[in-house]
Amino acid sequence: MKKHLFRTLYASILLIGCGNQTPSPGVTDEEILIGNIQDLSGPIKELGLLIPAGSQMYFDYINEQGGVNGRKIRMITEDHGYNPQKSVTAAKKLIEKDQVFCLYNVIGTSPAEAIRPILEENGVPLIAPATNSSTMSDMSRKGAKYIFHTDAGYDLQTKVLINYILSKNPDAKIGFAYQDDDYGENALLGAAEAERMNGVTVQKESFQRGATDFVGQTSNFMKGGCTDVIIGGIVREPVTIMKTAQAMNYKPNFYGLGPTTDKRVGLLAGDAGEGFITAYWAFHPESNNSGPIFYRELCDKNNVPDKMRGLYHYYGFATAFVLVEGLKRAGKNLNRQRLIDALENFKNWDSGVLPPITYSRNDHAGVESVMLLQLQGGKQVEITDWID
Amino acid sequence: MKTRFEDEKLKWIPLLILLVFFFPFVLKSATFSYKYYLYVINLAGIYMILTVGLDILSGYTGLMSLGHAAFLALGAYFSAIMVDQLGLPFELSLILTPMLVGCFGFIIGFPALRVQGIYLGLTTMGFGFIVKRLIIVFNEWTGGSAGLSVSNAKLFGWTINSDWENYFIIYFFVIIAIIIGRKIVRSKLGRAFMSIRDSEQAAIASGINLAKYKMISFFISGSFAGLAGVLFAHTSNFISTDHFDILLSIYFIVMVMIGGIGSIYGAVLGTLFIVLMENLFIPLFEDGLSKFIHLETGDFQAFIFGLIMLIFIIFQPLGLYGMWLKMRIYWKIFPFNPRKRFT
Repeated sequence: MKKHLFRTLYASILLIGCGNQTPSPGVTDEEILIGNIQDLSGPIKELGLLIPAGSQMYFDYINEQGGVNGRKIRMITEDHGYNPQKSVTAAKKLIEKDQVFCLYNVIGTSPAEAIRPILEENGVPLIAPATNSSTMSDMSRKGAKYIFHTDAGYDLQTKVLINYILSKNPDAKIGFAYQDDDYGENALLGAAEAERMNGVTVQKESFQRGATDFVGQTSNFMKGGCTDVIIGGIVREPVTIMKTAQAMNYKPNFYGLGPTTDKRVGLLAGDAGEGFITAYWAFHPESNNSGPIFYRELCDKNNVPDKMRGLYHYYGFATAFVLVEGLKRAGKNLNRQRLIDALENFKNWDSGVLPPITYSRNDHAGVESVMLLQLQGGKQVEITDWID
Repeated sequence: MKTRFEDEKLKWIPLLILLVFFFPFVLKSATFSYKYYLYVINLAGIYMILTVGLDILSGYTGLMSLGHAAFLALGAYFSAIMVDQLGLPFELSLILTPMLVGCFGFIIGFPALRVQGIYLGLTTMGFGFIVKRLIIVFNEWTGGSAGLSVSNAKLFGWTINSDWENYFIIYFFVIIAIIIGRKIVRSKLGRAFMSIRDSEQAAIASGINLAKYKMISFFISGSFAGLAGVLFAHTSNFISTDHFDILLSIYFIVMVMIGGIGSIYGAVLGTLFIVLMENLFIPLFEDGLSKFIHLETGDFQAFIFGLIMLIFIIFQPLGLYGMWLKMRIYWKIFPFNPRKRFT
């Protein structure tokens, strides 16, 4: 027994030794393997289909062009069902079993937060966690040096909206409906900052994730005399609030955070949604900038159905640009540290799909400006330039 | 009165301990990605502690609980707050947290005196929702729905910070939980529980204080879940309300059911089966099957899960452990098997 045990131990030590000599897992002469963790079975599973489809479209394009430095990109997608523990399981599987080179697009704040220790332990970079929460780029947190955030935070979006409202109407009374979870919490930080800067008080009303009835919140805004209402929801929330207000004959100006920029809001809300202003942190997929034009060309070429095109599909497409550019700059002798170094050297990198991105050793925030879009006749129109 | 499965004996324990101790070494020499498998096994271990407790409540006392994810959450959050924010040592939290969570179980035991069956299930489910809301409300302590980072466990100056070390600490407690569970169900306490399960009227008639024993059962079950929570928090290093939802509670019930309700080993087997199924076998099937038909990961998992549940409930209501017992008896009396008894 003892002899056998020693043999096993010896074999395992040898195996570990071999492991350390491989330059970087997930990279061969032909291929770069990346891991993607999406919600394919949980509360936001429709995004879990759209986002990787958008990324895959761009990777396919790159692979057709010969790949990155001669290597094709292959993406494995795992499911976490919006459960942080399953996200940890998926990350461990991707890193230790499938041996991916890096992680990309882990959706949701708590699932992305949960894998920080794993990133730190294995030194695996995570490019573009698919959440707008600014905690992702907080450099004081564990594993922060491996995370490269792309999205502008909810706090910034809220702050910009409040400042915009006050610049148009200094006497505005602002109401803010927020989701009582990590999304809302992050947005409240921005609201608090804007309150301090402008010396105003925002009337805040919370709702639960997945709520379908907003009569209470809407009538509270009406009672409080709010002239402008910001909605921190996704699709159903702004639509229902605007329709409820219309039915109550209450007509404030409505505003929404990034996730409400979905085109379904305009379709579902109809005339109640006319004039709805949202803060968005990438070029709008329908706009006439080089990135979105290229996006639409690729969509047409790949026959992407109309219902899939839009905000989230474009999100996957746009963040894939960041990853590919990082891989390109990391060069032929690719390893994880080289990718991190390459990304940290982004200086006002203009991709055309996102506003210019700058990363440095102490700043992994990515996009730090937003643009305001307005629903006019059912179409989203850019009404400002990039605002910090 | 004997247990439902008569020939369970503690003689298994030393063999089990040996097996558990050498398992990671074998795994390490067998596969390079042993860390991932070890992580999955660790998760199963944490759930085993909880399901042993749940089995005492549901399998032995006959009280249904759909709120065990909430007990797990309480254990995890209490321990995280005690160790990281109040600065208490981890060893103390290992003792205090199960007690505290047990007290919550005690409180939940009150409605159990009045309501039964599915109504008790609904009450405990309500408890689950309340706990989730409370965690969000006390966000200064718990970090709200953004989740909470938890430090590594420190046991007598030894920091436990890898899956390898987690394995030994978790399975140490799994074995303790199994032994305690077995001791409880074979004691006077366990016999009282079983008599309540079999007939409340008969139990009262034989002088069993129904209220007392039901609450004790909830206390014990809560303590096991609390211990699982402590280990969960300090080995996964991140906890959030998204994890402890109603689905997890249902999962626990499924684990106990598939293992064989009313048997400690059954709970352990069922937990191992479900966790391995979910993380190792279903993905394997899926890879093979996705070559032929287009399926989305989430759908497929739910489909296979439902199928297994149906098959077990229809064909093997006594679960995995019942299957094992049948096989054993079959071979014991081999040439003289009565017809149609073991099909």
